[in-house]
Amino acid sequence: MSSLVIRDLHATVDGQEILRGLTLEVEKGKVHAIMGPNGSGKSTLSKVIGGHPDYTVTSGEVLLDGENILGMEPDERARKGVFLAFQYPMEIPGVSNANFLRAALQARLPEGEQLEATEYYARLYQKMDMLEMPRAFTARSVNEGFSGGEKKRNEILQMAMLEPSYAILDETDSGLDIDALRIVSAGVNTLRGPSLGILLITHYQRLLNYIQPDIVHVMVQGRIVRTGGPELALQLEEEGYDFIREEIEQDKNAAALSTASV
Amino acid sequence: MSTAVLDQVRTILAGAFGSRLTGALPDDSSRPRWYREMQAAAWEAFEALPVPSRRDETWRFSSLKHVSTDPYSAPQELDQSARNRLLLRSAGLAATAGRMVFANDQLLAQDTHGDSLRQKGVIWKPLGQAASEHDELFRKYFMREEARLGGRKFAALHKAWVSNGTFLYIPRGVEIDLPVEAFHWLEGDNGSCFPHTLVIAEEMSKVTLLDHFESSDQHAAGMACGVNDLWLGAGAKVTYVCTQNWSRKTLAVQINNTVVGRDAAAVALNLNQGGAYVRGESVSYLRGPGGRSDMLSLSIADGQQEVDQRTLQIHEVPNTSSDLLYKNALDGHARTIFAGLIRVDHGAHKTDAYQKVRNLLLSDDCEANSAPGLEIEADDVRCTHGATSGQVDAEELFYLQSRGIPTKIALQLIVLGFLDEVLQRLPDPNLQSHLRSLVEGRFSRE
Amino acid sequence: MPTETVSQLEIDRSVGDFSYPEQHQYDAGVGLSHDTVDYIANVKGEEDWIREFRHKALDTFYAKAMPTSWASEDLKAIDFDKIRYYLANGQRPTRSWEDVPDDVKRTFERLGIPEQERKFLAGVEAQFDSEAVYSNIKKAVGDQGVIFVGSTEGLREHPEIFRKWFGKVIPTGDNKFSALNSAVFSGGSFIYVPPGVKVKHPLQAYFRINAENFGQFERTLIIADEGSELMYMEGCTAPKFETATLHSAVVELVAMKGAKIQYVTVQNWSANVFNLVTKRGIAHEEAEIKWIDCNIGSRLTMKYPGVVLKGRKARGEVISIALSNNGQHQDTGAKMIHAADETTSNIISKSISIGKGRSTYRGLVHVPKHLKGCKNNTECDALLINHESRTDTYPAITVRGTGNVVQHEASVSQVSAEQIFYMQQRGLSEGQAMSLSVNGFVNDLVRQFPMEYSVELKRLIDLEMEDSVG
Repeated sequence: MSSLVIRDLHATVDGQEILRGLTLEVEKGKVHAIMGPNGSGKSTLSKVIGGHPDYTVTSGEVLLDGENILGMEPDERARKGVFLAFQYPMEIPGVSNANFLRAALQARLPEGEQLEATEYYARLYQKMDMLEMPRAFTARSVNEGFSGGEKKRNEILQMAMLEPSYAILDETDSGLDIDALRIVSAGVNTLRGPSLGILLITHYQRLLNYIQPDIVHVMVQGRIVRTGGPELALQLEEEGYDFIREEIEQDKNAAALSTASV
Repeated sequence: MSTAVLDQVRTILAGAFGSRLTGALPDDSSRPRWYREMQAAAWEAFEALPVPSRRDETWRFSSLKHVSTDPYSAPQELDQSARNRLLLRSAGLAATAGRMVFANDQLLAQDTHGDSLRQKGVIWKPLGQAASEHDELFRKYFMREEARLGGRKFAALHKAWVSNGTFLYIPRGVEIDLPVEAFHWLEGDNGSCFPHTLVIAEEMSKVTLLDHFESSDQHAAGMACGVNDLWLGAGAKVTYVCTQNWSRKTLAVQINNTVVGRDAAAVALNLNQGGAYVRGESVSYLRGPGGRSDMLSLSIADGQQEVDQRTLQIHEVPNTSSDLLYKNALDGHARTIFAGLIRVDHGAHKTDAYQKVRNLLLSDDCEANSAPGLEIEADDVRCTHGATSGQVDAEELFYLQSRGIPTKIALQLIVLGFLDEVLQRLPDPNLQSHLRSLVEGRFSRE
Repeated sequence: MPTETVSQLEIDRSVGDFSYPEQHQYDAGVGLSHDTVDYIANVKGEEDWIREFRHKALDTFYAKAMPTSWASEDLKAIDFDKIRYYLANGQRPTRSWEDVPDDVKRTFERLGIPEQERKFLAGVEAQFDSEAVYSNIKKAVGDQGVIFVGSTEGLREHPEIFRKWFGKVIPTGDNKFSALNSAVFSGGSFIYVPPGVKVKHPLQAYFRINAENFGQFERTLIIADEGSELMYMEGCTAPKFETATLHSAVVELVAMKGAKIQYVTVQNWSANVFNLVTKRGIAHEEAEIKWIDCNIGSRLTMKYPGVVLKGRKARGEVISIALSNNGQHQDTGAKMIHAADETTSNIISKSISIGKGRSTYRGLVHVPKHLKGCKNNTECDALLINHESRTDTYPAITVRGTGNVVQHEASVSQVSAEQIFYMQQRGLSEGQAMSLSVNGFVNDLVRQFPMEYSVELKRLIDLEMEDSVG
């Protein structure tokens, strides 16, 4: 039961099918990585799980610890424990990071209960230290004028503060130089543990040198075409996505055959 | 309308449109009957319409004392020597696809550079001829959109008196690579002219048109009341440039409507150098998704000149864009007025609209008025406007001086640099350099 | 939207939406005539010059056209013959809440006024319909020579100061509504701060309309003498009646050399009030006038606070926040008239249009000939929340000669769907996300309000936003 299960998920955006029967299970305590070429639907997957209004699920289900979350509002899903680290975090002018996080945490408390300010700041500062973020950061507007690295660090900080059960990190390594990548990865690794399932979405293998996955999936044309251990990522790194292509063709043929036999 | 009524109108004309006006409607007999009736009706409209008042928002800031049409008489015939003289002075672009020269609304010359335009199906004719020979097309587009920015009375006057100008029809898919050019001269004292430009660019066609307006005598008074309308079908691309150097005693009104269809792109630029009171009214209708209109203007005003420009960018459908950049350099006792409005209609989402006016004030007695406006009724839009008024940056001037450049030249360089941003927005480098030389020419005359 | 927020919304919206039965000793009746003017002058026992001033103003009002050529047609809905122009129970306010009649006292207690006075104010005036019922200034402040009374009292007790400045900043004929106010004005504050006196805590006035079909026409005159400083705050509410109510004030400020005046307004009239107000200040040499103006309520507000920068190095500022919801039109802005060298002015306007609400900015910046070193900066930002929201911007800027820098910028934006999704992904509801975005949009301006007001403002914005989602 303690897992995020995605079963035969089909989803469209602007009428075009991007996810075409994707099946995947992320257990708590495990780190899964999804790799795939551009346009394979990786980012769509994260948006669909998060409940982005532009994406329409046409069939399949997403079960969070057994409960279907499709149909829930994005914020409800978030409060249930799904966290999305965005590839391009939004800027929210005029809203300070401290107030933003505070509002997000307050939304998770039972009605009538108030967030304890001292405790909140103590925790916030501790997490910020971990991510090597200066104190002045709390007063700045969310992501406004942040460098690429600062934005990604901010995503990880929010993840640390909100303590999700499942985190989906969408191309978290994009836009990061080597130092920033090290800090962000260290942050993620600290949060790793038995109560958190992580789904890393990435195009490049380099992130996986810093965050070791337990399981690696390859996604092509909206579905998982291959699953293996960390060695699969290395194979992809060396041989590129070409060696998977054959399997894609086979996959297509098989699909055609199965359709024909129905 | 009966001939009797037409005669009556002619009599009224003789009396009412300035006491100095004599004679009949221009080129009367050669025009189709519907054309003459249209003119008679326009004259009645002109008479019925109220004289502009400053209480009217569209005439706010204007010096209305300049606006009277009374002192001017109808366009006068030119003798052969004047015709030859003006033809010689009509030097424009080095390479064109065709050229027409008008003076006091009479056609002096038309160079077609062979038959290539006609072979492609392009109709490029003097307006009067087009009205007779292509009346269906003509009537479909001629002054179809009304003057919305205060100039209805002038539009009616133009319609009552217009006899010539450029009629340019480009069929579907035809591209004219070189610009088409027209000259409009105003000759004689207290004379008038009513130049008209009508461009109909069908789907996926492309053309560049350049109008030159000039007084033959920089000391003669006169009135120019022109209209230029641009119609862009789907995917069409039209570049229109209008340069004017009317005399310092000219009342000049130019009314423009540009209608932009789906995925079409219009670029229009006005260069104002002359005139006593120059009024420009320019409207872009963004009528098809993907349409874009660039509205550009640069004005150099000094002495007692007043340049009064009113603009409207109307976004009627989603996914359109417009970008306006007007720059004014003011010296002496010059006044400029810029009043522009971006209007985004209800439902016209994904509109991108910009409007920027910049005034460079070079003397203590010049005055710049700016009224950039927005009316937005759709929420998913990006609209900004800005207006700045300032002087030459002292540090910038000092830097040039410190390199040994005399103050006067340094100032000219700075003003040219200020204006050049507008020219750079033109797609054609040849046009850019032609206009640049006109602007530089003005300074070297001083 | 969860149902509990709806009910909470209704409860909160009703803070000002209550009224008590009317018991007026003085009533000028319905409609407007020279008799109305005489009635008011008689009741107040006014001198001839002021009576004459009123009659002349009424003629000006009759002569002037409605400004519908440039302003909203909605003005035509005002029926001047159906309005009551003067309602009061006496012309002398008490100095103690104890002596305020029970109903009226309960009104102000429900609005939290006496409590605020104890907490952070240097003085309070409370106006109920046409007259101030309570007016008090802390002893320490009064001892410094600061005068803070109702305008009726100011005219009676301090004619030498009052008459010198009255109607000098805003002439009767400035506009149709300033003329109307000049004819029938009653109530409002009169403040004089002696040279060098810096009033630490704000002085506050609270304007309350209790009666239906009523017009409130307060007149405020504030004079800050050389080097003095003061902050004045005003709030206003009215119950939501079936018929339209008219509020048409005239506020004149005079900042003498080196003086500073801050004038803060949080306008929360009910959505049937026509709020047509003329506000202007004169800033002498090195003086500073700052209008902080927030418009949340009313059906139609037309208000463009202005500063005439009369002395060298004078500074003027307008900070404006407008929030327009369904059925509302906030037509606000600013006027800056530069009349001396090295004067600076600053205008920041932010408006939010929700539902079918409409926000309009009108600005006027004037830098006449032969001035040097003048600066104006104007920023107008509009936020549109729904598809049917509307915003307009109409600035007018005139600059003559070299040596001055004037710039104006405006933008229109929306709360982006991506931004809302991002916040929802962090667990906030759509309404909360919307509120955060909107509060973020006005945050830099809200911070300029006194603490107590900025908290109130944020709460009001939250309430308005809860309703906007969907």
